[in-house]
Amino acid sequence: MDVGASGVTDAAPPTAPARLPALAAWRFHVGDQLAWRIAAAIALSTVSAALLVALSGRNPAAAFAAMAAGAAGSPHQLGVALNRATPYLLAGGGVAVCFRAGVINIGAEGQIALGGVGAAAVSLHWPDTPSPAAAMVALVGAAALGAAWAAVATAIHLGRRVHEVLATLLLNFIALLLVQQTLAGPLGQTGAGFLQSPELPAAAWLGKAPDLGAHAGVVVAVVAAAALSLILWLTPFGFALRVAGRSRRAAAYAGFSMNGLTWGVMLLAGALAGLAGGVEVLGMHHRLIEGFSTGFGFKAVTVALLGALEPLAVIPAALFVGLLEAGSLSMQRQIGVPSALVAVIEGMTMLFVLAATVRRA
Amino acid sequence: MIDFLAAAIRIASPLLLAALGGILSERAGVFAVGLEGMMLMGAFAAAVGAWATDNALVGVVLALIGGAGIGLVVAIVTARFRADNMVTGLTSNILAAGLTSYLLRVMAGGGRPIAIHLAPLAAWPIPGLVDLPGVGPLLFALPPLTYLAILGCVALDLLLRRTQWGLTLRAVGENPEAAFAAGIEPMRVRVVAIVVGGAIAGLGGAVLSLQQVGTFTDGMTGGRGYLALASLIVARWNPFGAAVACLAFGAAEAFELRLQGFGVPVSSYVVQMAPYLIALAVLAGLGRSSRMPASIGQPLPWER
Amino acid sequence: MTTLLQMRGIVRCFGAVRANDGVDLDVSSGEILGLLGENGSGKSTLMKVLFGMIPADAGDIVFRGRRLGGHRPADAMAAGVAMIHQHFMLIEAMTVVDNVMLGWAEAGRLLKRSEMAARIHEASRRFGLDLDPDAVVADLPLGRRQRIEILKAVLREAELLILDEPTSNLAPSEVADLLTILRRLREQGKGVVFITHKLPEVLDVCDRVVVLRAGRVSGRSPVGAVTRAQLAEMMVGRDTTAPHMARQASSKVDRLIVTNLEGPGLGPLSFAVKGGEVLGVAGVDGNGQLELVETLAGLRRPHGGALSVDGLELVEASIAARTEAGLAYMPADRSSTALVKSLSIAENLMLRDSRRAPYSRGLFLSRAARDAKARALMREYDIRAPYPATPAGRLSGGNQQKIVVARELDRKPAALIAHQAAWGLDPGATRFVVERVLALRAAGAAIVYFSSELDEVLDVADRVAVMANGRFAGVVARREADLGQIGLWMSGRAA
Repeated sequence: MDVGASGVTDAAPPTAPARLPALAAWRFHVGDQLAWRIAAAIALSTVSAALLVALSGRNPAAAFAAMAAGAAGSPHQLGVALNRATPYLLAGGGVAVCFRAGVINIGAEGQIALGGVGAAAVSLHWPDTPSPAAAMVALVGAAALGAAWAAVATAIHLGRRVHEVLATLLLNFIALLLVQQTLAGPLGQTGAGFLQSPELPAAAWLGKAPDLGAHAGVVVAVVAAAALSLILWLTPFGFALRVAGRSRRAAAYAGFSMNGLTWGVMLLAGALAGLAGGVEVLGMHHRLIEGFSTGFGFKAVTVALLGALEPLAVIPAALFVGLLEAGSLSMQRQIGVPSALVAVIEGMTMLFVLAATVRRA
Repeated sequence: MIDFLAAAIRIASPLLLAALGGILSERAGVFAVGLEGMMLMGAFAAAVGAWATDNALVGVVLALIGGAGIGLVVAIVTARFRADNMVTGLTSNILAAGLTSYLLRVMAGGGRPIAIHLAPLAAWPIPGLVDLPGVGPLLFALPPLTYLAILGCVALDLLLRRTQWGLTLRAVGENPEAAFAAGIEPMRVRVVAIVVGGAIAGLGGAVLSLQQVGTFTDGMTGGRGYLALASLIVARWNPFGAAVACLAFGAAEAFELRLQGFGVPVSSYVVQMAPYLIALAVLAGLGRSSRMPASIGQPLPWER
Repeated sequence: MTTLLQMRGIVRCFGAVRANDGVDLDVSSGEILGLLGENGSGKSTLMKVLFGMIPADAGDIVFRGRRLGGHRPADAMAAGVAMIHQHFMLIEAMTVVDNVMLGWAEAGRLLKRSEMAARIHEASRRFGLDLDPDAVVADLPLGRRQRIEILKAVLREAELLILDEPTSNLAPSEVADLLTILRRLREQGKGVVFITHKLPEVLDVCDRVVVLRAGRVSGRSPVGAVTRAQLAEMMVGRDTTAPHMARQASSKVDRLIVTNLEGPGLGPLSFAVKGGEVLGVAGVDGNGQLELVETLAGLRRPHGGALSVDGLELVEASIAARTEAGLAYMPADRSSTALVKSLSIAENLMLRDSRRAPYSRGLFLSRAARDAKARALMREYDIRAPYPATPAGRLSGGNQQKIVVARELDRKPAALIAHQAAWGLDPGATRFVVERVLALRAAGAAIVYFSSELDEVLDVADRVAVMANGRFAGVVARREADLGQIGLWMSGRAA
């Protein structure tokens, strides 16, 4: 009984199917509804946030104005926002691609942390490498360690049939403890009051743009997002991912190996998360600090969802979150609205987005 | 030794309550990744309530409400709107962390959080039993919420195995379609399970703020919610097993604290990894376990 | 014996299809009524209407003197009607007694397990069910699990039990046991409606039989007064088909060879198809067609056996390798296997060939090539939609199937497995599919065409095989096909 038909029926066709401009056709049927829903989600959570601000006796408009000024009021502030957004963008892109394939990878938290270890270890081990090779090699180390950790999760998931969420989640905690262990041991700086590594060789540091203060990692992140989008839309691998995310049965029928796809997407996401950690260490702190990436992994999920799992859209999403966070400190200082409001806005927005955009129905 | 066991019990009690709440949710078929947020909100509500009214009982009641509130949010988004369990849980944790920090500061009028100082709840010794040699002071002079945790464990086990409600809950977690064919409303059952589970997890948070630390600080649950999730998995979704697992994890942490005192060359970090490694090992050993509620993580396939 | 159930003039339509077209049915207590018919004859629909799962468009139902209408399953159960579904609604991880107590108020808020266990023992004895209350359902064989459903019905004091294709998943010994239980139910005064397509079982255990065909009653009779052949005729009866022109296979070479293929629910099975030949496989759905089709396509692994296309041994090969080797496959499940509805027509057309030219060049997909190819295929196969970028889910069923046909046939395959290729399509779309399959045949491919619509199979096949119980019950050349014989084959061997 064919009850699935709707819309176009067997009416007389046009003489030849018309051409729709490529970009519009490409985005149109995927993006249009989603974009509206995400915009609605952001609007709803902004209203709720305004209510919360009013609850505290402050003026919401003033609070948001202060936040905006604090976020983008000067090139320096904008640079702060860009720097904050960078690791979210890198890790978020990887997570987005995983989710697209139906692989719920939430191990970014651990992969980012270990990426930082990778960058620090490589640059400390070969301190005489000249720049820019030093930074590049260190970043390769970061990506490699992140990918390796993702590989552990994948092996457990596919080999022992453990749900990928549980495997990646538990490995996060183990990774964070491993980082602490390395800082207490081989990578640690003796004599420091808290866990941190010695300062990394200056040759490995990421350069900063003059007025902006944003480091080179921003460029890496944007390039990575563009590359991910390219992979997703213009390669057979990306096509396979998109099919698998919608129907495993169709993916099997199409001849794709689910195991192969899972490995591919997890290693990719792990490498990107590792890169995020490396970029943060080399660009922001110039050393490995305990807890440098706390919460980044979950932010990556936020940003991936806000970008509707499209890597190019994750760029504005990450920027949005970066601006929110950069502006929140000003908002707290000037208006007295606690910067914790940002986490509330992020959480609410994500929940609204989740409710509005269920993919697997 | 007695001290060690006492420490283990102390560390285990918030975990156990959270795990019990998680068992309710998971046995109904919903991954309980949101335990961390529910605990945190409970800790916050308990501290604020007890501080504002100078009455610990008010704090406890508010902890239940706070945890249930987060539970309601999770339930709506994941059971009603069918969003992925895991991501919803993680998101609600972020929300809870932000909300508690925010409210803590708003109540003080802005920048600094209010300073809550509460006397931690005292132990309630059970007359007679407390005089038993060895075991007495260990088991029968516990603070009230810890007794509640133990009672809760027994009650949950009875509920799940011996009542129609428990049967219904387990059926929804195993095979919602069959439950529906038997006249049950799976969505309603899942929502109730998540909300009640949230309340109990909130109570676990209250143990931290009311019974142990005497205040609320940002993010004070520190990952205990995830540890509780690991423990309920290790326990194979069984309340008594969860008690044992939480006790084991509590012992591990107590052991680690003592290690630091003795200067033994085993790294404290490695010891801290133990619970997560054990949980992973159990999961890997189970594979796609036949003990895991069969329909867990799967959204209800029809609009009901 | 009193009249339990009277259904009069039941009409139920799905769109243009009249699944039930004025059906009358009576059942008395202490009687087993067989309800016989092929796929699509309307028997499941009729029972769903009775049980309240779907409403009737017209007609009356009177059960134990009371009208039953606009009701839901819970109402039907309360009135005393119980349905034993083909796919059991049981919780595998729980025990028998837990499953019985589920959703049953009589078991109490605080579960009265021992009392329930005693009642289960007693009912089990009375009806010969032989069930242990503490057995875990997952440990029980399928035949036992079915009895739990019967047990539930009996404990809740159902007077009429409807069994929907109850023997489809049972081993022969389990079938015999089930029939014994049905006789016990009859002795105890219950009414039973036994829905099936298997003639031997009907003759074995039923008192009366009603045959449905295309939504109408095509015959009623007490079981003693009718023969198997007559029943088969009533079920299948196409006596007005014009004689088909005999068609010869166009080559002598076997292109698709299957040897001793065996797996769960399948075989062992052996057959060969020549180039330019269509082997039509008829049979009621659920007799191993899906198992065979998916094993041939590579979605399932067999226990043993061999499969080759043009001499290339494929039984260990991946799906991608089979496609590469020239084996095309059109799945029955259009909505989530053959197509991805949320992807565009163009993307669906390249679903299985994305790594090959013209779709990809080097590392990248060529969107221009993909769209050009899509436009060409849309023209050639008359896929009616505005653009290649239109999501496939927006098309009508006929056009969706055209996408599948276009994709599989454009590859110029050596062999094609088509499963329910014309399911749910209107006559025009069906004609289109059949024509394309015949064109492929003319081009020299070996085709295996599975369908539960006998008409369709007869239209298209050079040889006709009938599948029952996971094997070919018989294979015959089209011009020698005798409908009576086919009907008999379709209705299975004796248990």
